Amino acid sequence: MPNLLSRRDFLKVGGVAAGALALGSFLPPWVAEAARESGALDASDSGYIPSMCEMCVWRCGLLAKVVNGRVVKLEGNPDNPHSNGKLCPRGQSGLMNTYDPDRILSPLVRVGKRGEGKFRKASWDEALGMVADNMQSIKTKYGAEAMVFSTTHCLSQPLFENLLNAFGSPNYGTQRSLCFNAMIVSNLMTYGMEEPDRDYSKLKYIILTGRNLMEAISTSETSALSQAIDRGVKVVYLDPRFTKTAAKASEWLAIRPGTDLAFHLALLNVITSEHLYNALFVSNYTDGFDKLMGSISQYTPEWAAGITEIPSDTIRRIAREFAAAGPYAMAHNGWRTSNFVNSFQTERAIAILNALVGNWNVAMFPANGEESGVLGAPPQPAYPRNSAMRLDGVPWKYPFVPLSMGVFQELRDAMLAGTPYKAHGWFIARQNPAMSLPDRGRTLQAFSKMDFIVTMDILMNDSAWFSDVVLPEASYLERYDPLNIVGDKAFIRQPVIEAQGEGKSSMWIYKQLGNLLGLGNYFQYQDEEDYLKQQLAPLGVSLDDVRQKGYVDLPEESTEFSEPTWNTPSGKIEIYSSTLAQGKFPGVPQWEVPPAPQAGQFYLLTGKVAQFTQFGTQNNQYLHKYSDDPRLWINASIAQNLGLVDNDLVEVTSEVGMVHVRLQVTQAIRPDCVYLTPGFGHLSKGLTTAYGIGACDSDLHVSYSDPVSGGQALTQTFVTVKKI
Amino acid sequence: MAAIIQKTFIFDATRCIDCRACMVACSVENNIAMNKTRIWVSGVGVNGEYPNLQRDTMVYHCMHCAAPDCLSACPVGAYTKRDDGPVVYNPKKCIGCRYCMNACPFGVPHFDFDKGIIEGAFIDKCTMCTQRIDIGLEPACVATCPTDALVFGERVDLLKEAHARIQAHPGRYIDHVYGETENGGTSYLILSPIAFTELGLPALGSLPVKNTSEKVMEFTIPVALGWGAVLSATAVGVHMANQKKEAKAKQAVPAEEPAEEKI
Repeated sequence: MPNLLSRRDFLKVGGVAAGALALGSFLPPWVAEAARESGALDASDSGYIPSMCEMCVWRCGLLAKVVNGRVVKLEGNPDNPHSNGKLCPRGQSGLMNTYDPDRILSPLVRVGKRGEGKFRKASWDEALGMVADNMQSIKTKYGAEAMVFSTTHCLSQPLFENLLNAFGSPNYGTQRSLCFNAMIVSNLMTYGMEEPDRDYSKLKYIILTGRNLMEAISTSETSALSQAIDRGVKVVYLDPRFTKTAAKASEWLAIRPGTDLAFHLALLNVITSEHLYNALFVSNYTDGFDKLMGSISQYTPEWAAGITEIPSDTIRRIAREFAAAGPYAMAHNGWRTSNFVNSFQTERAIAILNALVGNWNVAMFPANGEESGVLGAPPQPAYPRNSAMRLDGVPWKYPFVPLSMGVFQELRDAMLAGTPYKAHGWFIARQNPAMSLPDRGRTLQAFSKMDFIVTMDILMNDSAWFSDVVLPEASYLERYDPLNIVGDKAFIRQPVIEAQGEGKSSMWIYKQLGNLLGLGNYFQYQDEEDYLKQQLAPLGVSLDDVRQKGYVDLPEESTEFSEPTWNTPSGKIEIYSSTLAQGKFPGVPQWEVPPAPQAGQFYLLTGKVAQFTQFGTQNNQYLHKYSDDPRLWINASIAQNLGLVDNDLVEVTSEVGMVHVRLQVTQAIRPDCVYLTPGFGHLSKGLTTAYGIGACDSDLHVSYSDPVSGGQALTQTFVTVKKI
Repeated sequence: MAAIIQKTFIFDATRCIDCRACMVACSVENNIAMNKTRIWVSGVGVNGEYPNLQRDTMVYHCMHCAAPDCLSACPVGAYTKRDDGPVVYNPKKCIGCRYCMNACPFGVPHFDFDKGIIEGAFIDKCTMCTQRIDIGLEPACVATCPTDALVFGERVDLLKEAHARIQAHPGRYIDHVYGETENGGTSYLILSPIAFTELGLPALGSLPVKNTSEKVMEFTIPVALGWGAVLSATAVGVHMANQKKEAKAKQAVPAEEPAEEKI
């Protein structure tokens, strides 16, 4: 049979540590004892232990199969609504995250030059002492604000935030401005909540604007979309690439990058001008419809056709179909086909489109988020008052960006420029800004401005490679984390095996640092289990029970029908936002012309593949084994015009950088675009599986922030391609 | 003939998103070496000309035929067809003749070139995860499939299910369940929106190849055994020669340089 992923491909991993799983270690007495007591393991230390995946942030439930004290297989946990018994390729490969032969097994202290990769082993006492001393000395000399903290969405994030707030620094970098600031701020302005929940079960019509759910897998949501398609739902999918989601959609529209906004404004135009909206819902539950009517008439399908390159008839038909399917119609508001400085307005237009068909409580629901008042927490004093201005411009330049999100790329640029003041230290926790931030050259320069950098991760990631101290974290199969609330349950992540080497949980690491910095009052728990017991205290449930079951049921909330309300100034869904208008931004979405490539340039697209999560899973040998080579996609007819053939080595150049990469000639992309799988082109030679593979799109990305949400305009980078 | 209860898969190409969770799950469950696999993706992939495109792929492993050609071709009885479906392979009996590889119309059994004749355990293929199905679990590939492109159950039920899907959505599928009759029937039933040959499947009649091959095989068993003896003798000879060569090379080459390139 003709194989796409042929036997030959398997030579690519060759003999790379083929026996890596043999490195697995035995359960330490305390883990085994606890598991045996809870009934998860029998006398031979075999059985299933429930826990939670961390190969991405979706947090599927898992059952870890343990045999003779070693974890040998992960299964999806049927009890967890995020997994429903399934795991995606990343979840299935989770063993190799823990048993990666490149794991950092002890704290490391740099001995060579930064970036040279020379480290010596150190004890936890020494490494944590160095971190605390450096942090304290920076605070004494320059003020707490000279210490920058950054991390990525994770369950121990509240404790990380405790550390930075107690330490007294306002400078906090998260991944969010590189990902979904536009969506979150738009939802806050429109619905008064970060992200409504979605339900696919009753849908008849879905518009996915670049929401590539078949490759950016969130197990339960991907599964829900697949079931809806199987049922016969109509899916309109917009993307400049023919992705695996495009292949499953009823209709694929290869929209021009940067013009999602024009498409959605035209849908709003048709639905309002032809009176196809849900008038009752609009009058009862929305605010500012009249102001939309006043400005939307100019955005006709004919106008949008010239911009989006989608025929006006198609736009008009989709608008009518969408409205006819309301309230069983949903325009997915997660992510976009491309990210430009107008992405915030795109998200606003999509949010309003949903409101016009009145799909609230049918397709979209109020989200509880991950916070819940029902869990307990250790007591702690109030944070010290903090009056220093933030380096990332929140809120003085970006008034609408929540403090918990920030504008990471602006933070990096301020660290590099030394304005409005200089930063001197950087604490990077389970994050890799050397790969994630646009314009990697600038990130590396920012590293060089720092007196001290510490990184915590399970692997020698590319930022750790440039750090002074590297703290080895225990992997997600080796540690506890705070409980995770999903619906009416709180799920547990618990160790299923001993930590490799000297790996420690972030809950432990933050507490030790807190103690060393004299901030122990903010970490009032003996150990991880004590923290969990304090969380469970109000529920009257024992930790042992939760460990055995994998979750705890939360008290039932009232299910009585109540009139929907939204946490906005008007208490309604805000089609017109007075908040935005006060900030001198358009109160209703308006067209903003995005920059476009010049002759000879291409849009540089990015987007996920099912085997990789951002920048952290490329070193996983199982995922490496079953993924495609990360080559640069280029349209076949364009390649022919340029005299390029498949697998040619090409030089790709943007305003800020240049990379060399192999070419993938394909029909599956617009002629004016090229696409690069993110997460490759690693700098750290400590990643022996991933190092040397592919090219890094962050080398090419130019930093542009959307002025409202601070979102990085990731697609606003134009490149030239030539054969080497 | 009494109906045999056979465990069976359905693979529905309209549901498969080519995420490869099944492939990783198979590798982990069966502890497959990093440069080996028991499960593949095939099909046309992206087809057509921009912007009129479609994309179709199939995941496949052993079809677990009702009348397996690998079994009938095997001169030493290394293959068994279990009553409940799986076609299993016994490495202890295998002599490495590779007749099964030639016999299988789906190209499933693979020779382990790393181990080869000298070290034993020559052939590798999917076992239907017997270690799982014997305790009531689904095979690893099925259990994790996020879109239920793979489902597992009794063959009679799944044939009904497959035909029901075609009837419910006549425009969506080719009106045929591949594996219902192909090669005498397989335990891997396939539903496809495009011609089965485009997914990489061979066009097969309903008579198993076995019916003709077994007649020939009656004559070949003595030949195969003889051939096995020849192979064994050759292998031993080659092995001894290699050992001599290595020994010489070790003497000739200084210690800091590897004597031979790693395979």
